[in-house]
Amino acid sequence: MTRILVIEDDETTAREIVAELSKRGFDVESVSDGRDGLVRAVSGEFDAITLDRMLPHVDGLTIVSVMRKSGIDIPVLMISALTEVDERVRGLRAGGDDYLTKPFASEEMAARLEVLLRRARTQPRETMLRVQDLELDLVKREVRRGGREIALMPTEFKLLEFLMRNSGEVLTRTMIFEAIWGYHFDPGTNLIDVHLSRLRRKVDAAGLEPLIRTIRGSGYALNAAS
Amino acid sequence: MRRPELWRTTTFRLTLVYGAIYSAGVMALLGLIYASAAVFLTQQMDQIVIGQTRALHGVSTADLPEKVREVQTQDVRNVNFYGLFKPGGAWIAGNVHVLPSDVPPDGVPRELREKGFQPGARALEERLASGEILFVGFDAKVLSGLRAIILSSLIWSGALIIPLGLGLGAALSLGPLKRIGAVQQASLPILDGDLSARLPTSNRRDEIDMLAGIANGMMDEVERLLWAVKSVGDNVAHDLRTPLTRLRALLYRVRQEAGVDDAHRAMLEQALSETDALLSRFKAIQRISEIDRRERRAGFAPVRLQALVEEIGDLYGPVAEEQGLNLVIDAGRAGESLADRELLFEALSNLVGNALKFTPPGGDVRLTLTARPEGPRLEISDNGPGVPENERDAVLQRFYRGHVERDIPGSGLGLSIVAAVARLHDFRLVLGDAEPGLKVTLDCWPAAMTH
Repeated sequence: MTRILVIEDDETTAREIVAELSKRGFDVESVSDGRDGLVRAVSGEFDAITLDRMLPHVDGLTIVSVMRKSGIDIPVLMISALTEVDERVRGLRAGGDDYLTKPFASEEMAARLEVLLRRARTQPRETMLRVQDLELDLVKREVRRGGREIALMPTEFKLLEFLMRNSGEVLTRTMIFEAIWGYHFDPGTNLIDVHLSRLRRKVDAAGLEPLIRTIRGSGYALNAAS
Repeated sequence: MRRPELWRTTTFRLTLVYGAIYSAGVMALLGLIYASAAVFLTQQMDQIVIGQTRALHGVSTADLPEKVREVQTQDVRNVNFYGLFKPGGAWIAGNVHVLPSDVPPDGVPRELREKGFQPGARALEERLASGEILFVGFDAKVLSGLRAIILSSLIWSGALIIPLGLGLGAALSLGPLKRIGAVQQASLPILDGDLSARLPTSNRRDEIDMLAGIANGMMDEVERLLWAVKSVGDNVAHDLRTPLTRLRALLYRVRQEAGVDDAHRAMLEQALSETDALLSRFKAIQRISEIDRRERRAGFAPVRLQALVEEIGDLYGPVAEEQGLNLVIDAGRAGESLADRELLFEALSNLVGNALKFTPPGGDVRLTLTARPEGPRLEISDNGPGVPENERDAVLQRFYRGHVERDIPGSGLGLSIVAAVARLHDFRLVLGDAEPGLKVTLDCWPAAMTH
């Protein structure tokens, strides 16, 4: 079972994170103090960590940089009430894998953590991605479904690659915007929806089983159970 | 801002007025002295003339011509005049050879207005018992000397007082003028929007310090109020986002529950989308404060705007197509701009997003990048309803939505975010008329450079 360490000093937030992650079948341990958090983080018992930026005694940045210096490379999702862009950069530079600002929706947090876990597990050198009868060749930059080639624009290709690498995971619009375009502001819901629906028209042509699913109120998933 | 001219300063004017009053006083004083001296000297001359006439009274008619010659030789100052005439007016003796016509022979001293005498000279004529006429006069040499002295005093003092007054006025005005200049200089950043700047004060506690103190007090109050207004928005946004996020999570969970029928599901969908709208609005408010709080030029680096514009085209092209609009990207070659790439992209994204939102199907949205001598210029124009001229400043404020926008979803804060980004960069943001439609110009060079 995947073990997650939650280091969070705010009781309500910690409870929410633990509830959401437990619901999804993770084995969760919660710590509210920075010192204890650091001890547990370097213990080697966990597969991923959600880490609050500001903690009593030892702060989140220190924990993650100590972890990285000790050679522990499990995914770390930094969570913080500090919204400044520089804060995000600082968190990621210290060794965090993703950065989420408070307040956040639990599903968003869980979705991000799952994407991080997934990325840690898969081989980065893969050159061919496959989901059912959908194939994406990263070397030839070609996409085929059931053997038939699908012509995609560069952005659509990047979008499909992201969906396929994380197939089965729910990806929120913010996550998609951040991953494909690399920006961290709120682009509005419509923008991402338009790009997804265009991709969907090409990938899920009439008569084929739909692979791209809209998860209402959350985002999108490729080949996910409803 | 124009500097006040030297001659317009209060100190200079006061010095001039003071100088004029002082000069008038000096003139009045000297005039009074002259008038009193003239009256006094006239009396003296009258008595001298009467005395000299009396001294000749006891002399017999035969000796009189000789006596007249004698007193005349004693007059070394050459101020006494005598004339002895026959009853018919023919000259007998004395240095006056023609009997002056304007003095009647009644023995009373009068002013003599004859040629050869100083103005103010006194004289009398007397008919002697023998029938001969005696003329005795006294020239006003002292009086005219005094007049000359007073007049030259006036001229000299005037020649000294006027330039001295002007010089003193100018010198006295320079100090206050310098301080006013300093106040003016110090107020420039305030006019530019830096509300933390204050006017300089000295420990002289004079009227300039007093006014600067009052202005500084007002600035403190304005800053405090503005901060209060801003932080109310921020605090509300911050405090409400957490419960709203929880509310959204709850709604989401309820909707996921089995056994919710379609009608309720639709209502839950509606509730979720309303909550999302609220959240995005609060996020936008916090975003504006965050941009406003940022250290100027903290994350600035040279940005190639051409790439940025092409990226926008890639991001919004499909949206335009979906809405039946024509998004024209015209990225000419333009240099780099020192900017925060991500914020500039966010601003541009808001502008293009807005333009697409307000343009009716079939319309054009045009994003143009041109090179100006000062730097790159971005222009976004649409053929939507535009913004009336009197609303253009207001739409850059938080929450303002123009008359046509109310039915269109959005946070109403897109343009405020753009304005905040422009403010941070000191870029000029101008809303204009695309005839028809809105044309937004963003000059990507520091506005201070063109001032």
